[in-house]
Amino acid sequence: MLRNRLRRKGARMLNIMLTGVGGQGTVLAAKVLAQAALEKGWHVRTAETIGMAQRGGSVVSHVRMGDQGEEVHSPLIAKGTADIIIAFEPAEGARMLPYLSPEGALVSATTAIQPVTAALSSDPYRGARVIERLYGAFDAASGRLTIVPDEAILKHVGNRKALNVVLLASAIDTGRIPLTLDDLRAAIEACVKPEFVEVNLKAIDAATGRE
Amino acid sequence: MTKKLLMGNEAMAFAALEAGVRVVAGYPGTPSSEIVETVARLRSSGTARGVHVEWSTNEKAALEVLFGASLAGARGLFTCKQMGLNVASDALMSLNYVSVRGGLVLVVADDPGPISSQTEQDTRRFAAFAKVPVLDPATPEQAYDMVKAAFELSERFHTPVIVRPTTRVDHASAFFELPTVTRARPVPEEGFERDVSKWVIFPRRAYEAHGEINERLPEIARVYATEEPFASFNPCGVDGIAGIDTAASFGIVACGISAAYAREALRIVAKRAAAADLELPAFRFMQIGTPYPFPEEPFATFAQGLSDVLVIEELDYVIEDELARWAGRTHASLSVHGKLTGEARDRGENDVDDIASRIERFLGLSGRLRLRRRAEAQDATVAAPAVPAEELPVRPPVLCPGCPHRGSFYAVKQALRGTPAVLCGDIGCYTLGNAKPLDAVDTCLCMGAGITMAQGLAVADPGKKAVAFVGDSTFFASGMTGLANAAYNGHDITVMVLDNATTAMTGSQPHPGTGFTLMGVQRPPLDIEAVLVANGFRHVYHANPLDKDASIVAVKAAVAFEGPSAVIFESPCVQLIKPDEPVVIDTEACTGCKKCITEIGCPAIGFNPAIEGPRSGSRGQSFIDPALCNGCDLCTQICPFGAIAFPATNAEEQQGDAAESPAEEGGQDA
Repeated sequence: MLRNRLRRKGARMLNIMLTGVGGQGTVLAAKVLAQAALEKGWHVRTAETIGMAQRGGSVVSHVRMGDQGEEVHSPLIAKGTADIIIAFEPAEGARMLPYLSPEGALVSATTAIQPVTAALSSDPYRGARVIERLYGAFDAASGRLTIVPDEAILKHVGNRKALNVVLLASAIDTGRIPLTLDDLRAAIEACVKPEFVEVNLKAIDAATGRE
Repeated sequence: MTKKLLMGNEAMAFAALEAGVRVVAGYPGTPSSEIVETVARLRSSGTARGVHVEWSTNEKAALEVLFGASLAGARGLFTCKQMGLNVASDALMSLNYVSVRGGLVLVVADDPGPISSQTEQDTRRFAAFAKVPVLDPATPEQAYDMVKAAFELSERFHTPVIVRPTTRVDHASAFFELPTVTRARPVPEEGFERDVSKWVIFPRRAYEAHGEINERLPEIARVYATEEPFASFNPCGVDGIAGIDTAASFGIVACGISAAYAREALRIVAKRAAAADLELPAFRFMQIGTPYPFPEEPFATFAQGLSDVLVIEELDYVIEDELARWAGRTHASLSVHGKLTGEARDRGENDVDDIASRIERFLGLSGRLRLRRRAEAQDATVAAPAVPAEELPVRPPVLCPGCPHRGSFYAVKQALRGTPAVLCGDIGCYTLGNAKPLDAVDTCLCMGAGITMAQGLAVADPGKKAVAFVGDSTFFASGMTGLANAAYNGHDITVMVLDNATTAMTGSQPHPGTGFTLMGVQRPPLDIEAVLVANGFRHVYHANPLDKDASIVAVKAAVAFEGPSAVIFESPCVQLIKPDEPVVIDTEACTGCKKCITEIGCPAIGFNPAIEGPRSGSRGQSFIDPALCNGCDLCTQICPFGAIAFPATNAEEQQGDAAESPAEEGGQDA
């Protein structure tokens, strides 16, 4: 089912940004999205953060699709042009807001990851405070902000590593990307080792309340 | 043929294999490492047949291995990051004079930013210095085409050829049609043919060879201008927006990934101009994908009638220099704008937004567009959602939870308490020992330099103990000459070898100390202690870095010795091992003193001011994130109150999460 409420001005790329902390699995999520775009016959480019930042630093994956037949030149998303930001960690989502387009949406996990620098400081970072700020920053009626209760969903799925699929499913479920949950299922089957397909499909159902 | 999403690095590996490459060698370094890894993976899966692939001890060794293979007629592929070419430069400078037989292609990955490097050196500049042709791709697709073309060029002109991608080409992905099997081109039947007048470099031969190089470079520039696929590496125009206007007086020249950014920026500028009812001045656009030798002919055609040209490139002002030189020599009335005139970023990465505003300024649009934007901003009623940056935690890279380096650094700091010392760091994950609270790196320069810098410090500042840290891969790559120097010249240093049994920072590559090879053969691992002893280190201690007290004892003993001494800290990288069960904090026993955090700074330990307990009152308590903790057991030795322990001795605190086994496919980035 495609509920594409997204109205993008003129012919330009579909820009999806995945952001989180090194080791959270943004790279595989970007691969799954690219696979879904390929199966639609769209031109697609992705870019990854690989290297030092993977050791617990901020990482960003860019996925750009020519969903209206355009050729993608740059692998990186420009400021103010992301149609959707999928945040694996709330502060990382907040950090990338300058990249969000005026109509774009943020889909963020709830669970915070506390950096050592914050644990050392007298005022530790609290994810709940950032999420409050996010609720304050978006107009509630716009439907542009989705906070995903990842901990409860993952407990139900029984595997923490499924966070990336839970977030992708939640993002598609907003109806703001011209991809369907079936597109996601097909892409997962093409990208993931057979023994992990089932848990990931379960994660999609758990994330979208279809269980 | 199947269609697969490939990173630029993977695509270049395929290109080399399709070109029949016979020998592939390199040393790991971000952003280049995936090229050799891809070749190794395809070899072991049976896709790449007949290829030899290796991680060499360092870049110099790799390039020399390949040059030997080239003399036997084999095609060779070398890979490294930009600073790796510094290490291999001795071989490169001379082998260009000797000339190659089998095609020899060097993929040298530059790192604008820099994102994971010590310098922003520009390999295009290095290529010109070495008089070696260089190709500069803008996309993974172009990188693939260029690697194939580079082999042809190399054999035709007997020259090494450099392909110089940057991080955003190496680590960007696109879909490629792939062959199911590749075969290495066989070496000629006769193999190496003896010819002392050719393969042995002497001053007289070098003089002749220099002449041959000087003759072939202009010929190569002509090939760039007239022959495919090279001519297509310098394309003009931008689809959708002309950019080849013959009446234009403005020209825009871009290189590498900046060409992709500029094409997109031009779309944005065109759209903004149209929205403001402004006419886009006529302009031309050109990408220079063959920077050296500079393709003068196509540029001269492009520049005809232009009064001004803006150059957009990352790292150095290489093309800007070439254009200025061309304009001077041809007396063209062409003004060249770029880094040197302050009209382009002088360092770091370029991006679409910045290039768009610079192009607007260059085309004389910015004033009128700014007025327009100001008017729009006044009309806008809804502010863009934002959270102030100062409310967000900074997140620098850190040693992983359970990383054995944490224990090594902690033991050294504890053992040296009250002793003046200089801690010389080196290149690898353990550079991250600089972060607070460990704060255990005073210097860091380049691969292997910690061992030798410590010697200079010991000579010039004998009042302080000189301590060097070196990882196991760096030890073999460039630490050994420094060891010999210490023993020979009698320097009082202590070397801390952080042996985690892998090249960790670049993604767990094997090295001589592991014995694993990319050919799937297990060799006897080189013994670090034996190497130390053979290099004159007579006082060598062993320690398990996760055993705090024993490690401190070992460091004290080694540092006390006047002369070269070493401690080998042995514990495998956490990326290689199955995690142990996480520890837990006994809320009854935790006093909230934060010592576990302020002493070792493990990312798995957080602090929650809301937790209350009988001994912590309202101070708050530390907590363990069970998803991050891997049970290394270091923090249990730090807590003065015995409040941290494995759940077996703390049954009432046991959490359900601890039993979960991680499923590998969910998200291993590294």
